[in-house]
Amino acid sequence: MIITSNEKIWRYVLMIGLSLVLLIPLIVGVWVSLLPNNAILTGHYFTSQFTIDNYIQAITATPILRYLLNSLLVSAIVMVGQVVFSVLAAYAFVFIPFKGKQIIFYAFIGTMMLPFESQLIPNFQTLRWLGILNNYAALAIPFFASAFGTFLLRQTFMQVPLALRESAAIEGVGHFRFLYHAVIPYAKTSLFTLAAYSFLTTWNMYLWPLITSYSDNVRTAQIGLRQLQATEAVNSWGLIMASAILIMVPSLVVLLLSQRAFKSGLLDGAVK
Amino acid sequence: MDHAFSSANHAVVKHTQLQQKLKTHLAAMGFIAPSAIFLGVFVFYPLVKTVYYSMFLTNALGQPVKFIGLSNYGTLLQDKFFMKSLLTTFIFVFMVTLLTTVSALALAMVTSKHLKGTTLFRTFFASTMGVSVSVASVLWLFIFQPTTGVSDMVLNLLHLPPIHWLTDNTWSLFAVILTVVWMNLGFSFLALTGALENVATPLYEVADIEGVTTWHKFYHITLPQISPTLFFVGTVTMINAFQTFGQVDLLTKGGPNNSTNLIVYQIYKDAFVNLNVGKASTESIVLALLIALVTIAQFKLTEKRVMYQ
Amino acid sequence: MKKKYVMSLIAIVLMISIVLLGMSRLSRPVSANQRTTIVFWHSMGGKPADALKKLVAKYNASQTKYTVVPQYQGAYTESLPKYINVANSSAAPAIVQAQEIATSTMLSTKSTEPVSRLLDSQVINQIEDNIARYYTVDNQLQSLPFNSSTPVLYYNKSLVEKLGLKPLPEDPSYQDILNLAQAITEKTNHQTKGMTIEAYGWLFEELTANQNQLLANHDNGRESGQYATKININTPAARRLMTFMKQAIQDKSFVSYGSGDIAEANQQTAFLAGKLGMFMQSSASTGDLQANAKFKLGVTYVPHADDIARNGLTLGGASLWVNKHQTTATKEGVTDFLKFMSSAQSQAQWQLATGYLAVNKNAKALPQVTSAIAKDSNLGVATKQLETSKKNSVTAGPLVPILPIERTNVETAMQSIVNGADIEKSLQTAEDATNKALASYNSANHMQK
Repeated sequence: MIITSNEKIWRYVLMIGLSLVLLIPLIVGVWVSLLPNNAILTGHYFTSQFTIDNYIQAITATPILRYLLNSLLVSAIVMVGQVVFSVLAAYAFVFIPFKGKQIIFYAFIGTMMLPFESQLIPNFQTLRWLGILNNYAALAIPFFASAFGTFLLRQTFMQVPLALRESAAIEGVGHFRFLYHAVIPYAKTSLFTLAAYSFLTTWNMYLWPLITSYSDNVRTAQIGLRQLQATEAVNSWGLIMASAILIMVPSLVVLLLSQRAFKSGLLDGAVK
Repeated sequence: MDHAFSSANHAVVKHTQLQQKLKTHLAAMGFIAPSAIFLGVFVFYPLVKTVYYSMFLTNALGQPVKFIGLSNYGTLLQDKFFMKSLLTTFIFVFMVTLLTTVSALALAMVTSKHLKGTTLFRTFFASTMGVSVSVASVLWLFIFQPTTGVSDMVLNLLHLPPIHWLTDNTWSLFAVILTVVWMNLGFSFLALTGALENVATPLYEVADIEGVTTWHKFYHITLPQISPTLFFVGTVTMINAFQTFGQVDLLTKGGPNNSTNLIVYQIYKDAFVNLNVGKASTESIVLALLIALVTIAQFKLTEKRVMYQ
Repeated sequence: MKKKYVMSLIAIVLMISIVLLGMSRLSRPVSANQRTTIVFWHSMGGKPADALKKLVAKYNASQTKYTVVPQYQGAYTESLPKYINVANSSAAPAIVQAQEIATSTMLSTKSTEPVSRLLDSQVINQIEDNIARYYTVDNQLQSLPFNSSTPVLYYNKSLVEKLGLKPLPEDPSYQDILNLAQAITEKTNHQTKGMTIEAYGWLFEELTANQNQLLANHDNGRESGQYATKININTPAARRLMTFMKQAIQDKSFVSYGSGDIAEANQQTAFLAGKLGMFMQSSASTGDLQANAKFKLGVTYVPHADDIARNGLTLGGASLWVNKHQTTATKEGVTDFLKFMSSAQSQAQWQLATGYLAVNKNAKALPQVTSAIAKDSNLGVATKQLETSKKNSVTAGPLVPILPIERTNVETAMQSIVNGADIEKSLQTAEDATNKALASYNSANHMQK
């Protein structure tokens, strides 16, 4: 395919222009996080007096690192849980014939349409009854089963020829061995996509941690930032911005690493 | 397989077949059980419980005290605040879905040719996916801030009056929409970029030879080819938009004058601030029904227009 | 290729986790051996939060049996429902700070232990009578009043003087405020807006109380054996207040910052940056403002309506409640801690650091307090405003359960009035919605009566 130099030019102009527009909030955030507080208070943003004081203060005077650790652990736990649970369920839906498969599958998929809010109050009560509010478990356990994950993996697993499983079964290869040696290697991209996706969604969770975590030992980064914003808001935008930037780093890293997988992995979900 | 068995053997085979079938079912159950149990405990049971609560008057401790049938639903439908919240939610969801899908597609089209540096720009465009709810809200909160905010500085440069984005009825919903669309772009962009890469090149080549216009190419080749992904992106964005909470909580708390009071925020307030579990449950069920209806409608309407390979 | 990505991702996550784990270890306070932990939920942000932490640290250092752990749970409106949701479960804190208007709701959880059963009468008798009466129900002091305040009006005194205007009297009228706001706005060419009134239910309640308007029937719900069945929002007093606000808007000397925490932060930022002339807020902000203002701060009573004598205000602020589902050891610690918090010394330190009123009678006489007020009269305004209030059922304060909902509705009405809606209609809408919620609450919670 030929690209004329004209087209090249307008594509570059557009790409640069749009990047600027999209990245403005991030640029502003980083910029402000590096300014001394009085410059922000008086609105003098264009100054060369950069400082990392805000970062130092965020790390030493607020529990931001603890919040980050909490988020990382919860996200990692949910990620592992979702991948394992989804792999197992998707495998059964594709490779094991059983009665009522259709109905159960639709019941799974149907849950995707249910807003989490319609389960909010009873779930809160269940966890209160279990006595695990304000605990990592409360933040992670309700999200282990994922209809989206099961669906995504099912779409991928279906591309493995069923004959392969049949002949493997005749040779006496068990389900777990087949899953481990044939299916998983085949579905790596999808698995990775699901892992990154569930990590990011859990990292992003807001309402649930807001109502189930009460102490800094458990609070996630999202709620921690809200907390800082509420207690420090008056006159300390620099500190808030520095904290926001710190909180953004892990999820941005995960995204950058998984960007490629997302591009192809998500297609599996889109194609019927 | 060799079917030459004696009748005596036949019975044994039948027996093993039955055993085999049982084994298969057991295996299937084993594989599905973890997900099924957790979905049961944390999705289906709560759903039933929510429906149950929606038919009760509940006290401040959230205990159901009096069965009142469907009258919570009746009250809700006559509730002006709720109806307004419903309308706001619809406008919000529609705008977010439309703006996200269209802008993500535009961004994906811009970076669809492999030029030097395209990968870098793609990373830029995708980066908002790595920005979480609270971070995005705080960034935009600063931009929208009235006294020393960035938006006012820009408007000032253009000799325009300042806009009170978050406290003015006319702008507040738009400000929240902007924040949400900005955050959603990354995900939709990545999915659509992937889809565009998969459009068969020969189709374009034929079109080039026939000398059709760019618009024609887009409408008759690109769009049908990426329609499944477009549909997927639209549906996911829509379902997520219905559930937007964090941005509202951080930017406006539903105000001013309830202009950004999305249903989910109203549910949160009724359940966890106003302590009216019965009302909140009713609202949740209405929300669930709405999402289901709109999703089904979207499936039905777009079914014929989506081309699957 | 893919494998490399996965491995590096896992490696990075692991590395960061380990680093964070290590660092958070370091930052965690040395774990208290043998000490009983007392979890204390509070809603203090900004300067009061620092002052509170200092008091708690002082207590923790003063003895070796207990460690009080203060945990911020968001604003009152957020922490109250959080508490109610866990009140009778293992996640409940030993002490929770709850807003004055939550008194009736806190009692309805049946999860609290009246402090008059824990503290000696000698300790309780030291509490200011006009403060204690708010939290006294069924002849028991239900919770320990801790941070008490009234709203005051803050203004930029330096600016007023620079513009050649007269400073406000101690007890200004609506007209005084309107005049000054207009003068500030015009003389600064709209660079500084004259005034704002935050869409805040508390301000609404206080400014109507100041006109001797009862918020709820049955003596604000305090009549014995009765409970409130009607909340008054669309009253002549409220219409006068809203007309006052609308006049300022017409004069173009008004700026709106909306409602909620963000509005509060924004109006404070604007005030400190010299872009706002006057605003009303809790006296508890005095400390914060004094510390950050680069100009002379003016403090007065909140204004009274033009032809109506000042009735005075009801108490604002919060008190400390004790959860009854605690071990004996914890309860002993709580008692000891509350004794410390209510002492004259602690209360004096608290008042001087924040602007909240000391709840201990003996705090006033302490030399650090008398000399501070002599030096800066701003610090005495709120105390005097409350002391000079008339003693009637309006100033005793409402004992009504659904006040958070009332406030939301009032705030919505105030915002729509700012945005141009009709005063009477907006107030009536708020009143109807509030009374509907009250009726529904009463029918669900007073069924046995």
